[in-house]
Amino acid sequence: MVNTNIDGAPTRRRQDSALRVRLRRGGELLRLILSNPTTVFGLILIFGMLGMALFAPWLTQPNTPDPYQMPRDWGALRMPPGTPGHPLGTTNTGGDVLYGVIWGSRTSLQLSIIVVGVTVVIGTAIGSIAGMVGGKVDEILMRIVDVFLSIPELIFALAIAAILGPSFTNIILSLCLVFWVKYARIMRAQIILVKQNDYVDAARVIGDSRLNIYFRDILPNAATPLVVQATLDMGAIVLIGATLSFIGLSESGIAEWGVLVSEGQAGIASGRWWASTFPGLMIFLWALAFNLLGDGLRDALDPRTESRR
Amino acid sequence: MSISKTDTTGAQTVAPATIASVRGLKVHFRSKAGRVHAVDGVDFDVRDGETLGLVGETGCGKSVTGRAFLRLLPVPPGILAGGSVMFRPQTSCAGCGGEGCAQCGGSGRRPTPCPTCRGQGCPDCQGTGAETLDLLKVSDKKMRGIRGDRIAMIFQDPGKSLNPTLTIGEQLGEVFLQHRSADLLEEAGIDSGESGFQARALRRLAGQRDRRTDRMAAALWPPLRRRAQSVRQALDNRIAAALGETQIPNPRNIMRSYPHELSGGMRQRVMIAQALACDPDLIIADEPTTALDVTVQARILDLIGQLQAKRGSSVIYISHDLSVVRRICDRVAVMYAGRVVEIGETDQIFNDPRHPYTKGLLAAVPTTRTPRGKLAAIPGSVPELVDPKPSCRFADRCAHVHAACTASDPILSAVNPGHDVACFLEHPTSPKTEAAE
Repeated sequence: MVNTNIDGAPTRRRQDSALRVRLRRGGELLRLILSNPTTVFGLILIFGMLGMALFAPWLTQPNTPDPYQMPRDWGALRMPPGTPGHPLGTTNTGGDVLYGVIWGSRTSLQLSIIVVGVTVVIGTAIGSIAGMVGGKVDEILMRIVDVFLSIPELIFALAIAAILGPSFTNIILSLCLVFWVKYARIMRAQIILVKQNDYVDAARVIGDSRLNIYFRDILPNAATPLVVQATLDMGAIVLIGATLSFIGLSESGIAEWGVLVSEGQAGIASGRWWASTFPGLMIFLWALAFNLLGDGLRDALDPRTESRR
Repeated sequence: MSISKTDTTGAQTVAPATIASVRGLKVHFRSKAGRVHAVDGVDFDVRDGETLGLVGETGCGKSVTGRAFLRLLPVPPGILAGGSVMFRPQTSCAGCGGEGCAQCGGSGRRPTPCPTCRGQGCPDCQGTGAETLDLLKVSDKKMRGIRGDRIAMIFQDPGKSLNPTLTIGEQLGEVFLQHRSADLLEEAGIDSGESGFQARALRRLAGQRDRRTDRMAAALWPPLRRRAQSVRQALDNRIAAALGETQIPNPRNIMRSYPHELSGGMRQRVMIAQALACDPDLIIADEPTTALDVTVQARILDLIGQLQAKRGSSVIYISHDLSVVRRICDRVAVMYAGRVVEIGETDQIFNDPRHPYTKGLLAAVPTTRTPRGKLAAIPGSVPELVDPKPSCRFADRCAHVHAACTASDPILSAVNPGHDVACFLEHPTSPKTEAAE
């Protein structure tokens, strides 16, 4: 049903509620994301790995008392893949590689969700304050950010983790301390950009309060790049976390991909490739999956890339 | 019809009251080169119910002047260097309840009584008994109460002045939640004396401070849900009525759509609906039709005119389109380089321009008789506004420049009743030979 509005342009007749409009809009976004095969591939990988993390206790017998600790089979050291009971082989110390791969997805998920969650919140808060308040506050906050940015992320996280002592929790903590900076930067830039829009002035003109303007007009329009960056970082953080684990900053014996790669690397020269390869492959797939999804989200959310679709 | 223009019914004539006056407004901007005097001593009055045109070329400070009314200036880098914007908020006339009577001069509205003397006249209100606010000095809270309620603004580009993530209804509703929440509760049948959890939640839902918990409670708890729905309905009715007034077809459907689903003309109608939602006394229209095509422009202008006449609001119409200004404005102020150089009735400005800049501006408007390829222009370009010297700003482009022009600043002085010009040529002692044309 088409009727013509007063300016002569046709408008579609709509009887649906605002909620349904919003859902339809979400549906459009979903369709946009799903129309990109590489993004779908990334999503499949992510769902696969999430499923693995979710069903870990059913896929393998959980180690007691701590399932995140590698089980040791002292009777089967350095066994190749295909050994009965150890389909992906065992490490130098008799750890089951399959167990490490499966439970490692849980540690990785923990790592990335906690770090990304915490840093996005901190970064959004600090970036928003800097962008909204401006002036001296902005200047001070951004100089602090500059200090953080002047040190490479990995080195900085490494230094903090080294000071705190080797443990997986400390890796999470150190990454949280380092990674918020990027989000603060992005958020500040976005807010300053969005603040210049006429609709922000229009909201001020009708007498809206600053807080209301921030939550209704600024934040929703500023959040897109942050969402994309956060998705990309879900992968990147596991990569960095694994790096820190690899050089020995988490407890040894923990079911974590970086630790497993590190344990297995000594054997590579002697032909025992499996102990490092499978966890390494998982790190690679994890990072790849989130990068594909992140790129897909960017294409779907950023109107400037429209022509490329 | 605006009452200020032609009210010659006899002894009952009431001199058009001033609802706002700008005095010596100075807005400067800090820049690397120095202080840019973007607005440098602007004076003018806005009369009740009139349409005042503010014309001038890009960068002459007309938009900044308009924005000063709502204190929408970018500070910093802007600096409010001085001056005042006095404003008299209006209320519905008690004598006639808005119908128009002799007491209120037919406008149906009167100035809000001064809060310190309750209309008796005191030093605070300079004996007028009317509440007068300096918009540059009132508290932020008071200013928020004025914005959207007593003074509204229509922006240049309707495509950019609507939040793309909210539906039209959500954006329009904000005005009512902001300024009319008591009315919404009343319409929804909620007693103002009621207390308790429900009443508190409903009050928040009908105002700006609704919380997620309120919305959740309203969704889950049937007694509250019914009453919250009636508040929602009261709000929706108001939104639909506001949209309907701007002749938008199907307002109930439009309010559920997003800005990108509407055409430019429709979006500007939404902006107008928002601006007029609370019957403001003063509407700042900052080139409201520049981004629209000519056919839509005429309709939008008619609409603003009609709604203005219905409510008796005053409009400051900021534009560089002289033909539009001539058509819709009662009075015109011509701005140049941060100053008002000439102000008067529209007829006076267009038929008897006195300032050389106004003359140049009018001559530059191409007509159908302008020969091909020949467009008149004022020689030279707009002067740098960085730390200007005391001289006429137009001196280096003016054909009639003489010694006084570069030595000091001309000020606005009357050449005819209601017609002021800031030019030495109009001064009694200036060389008359060049002025006569």
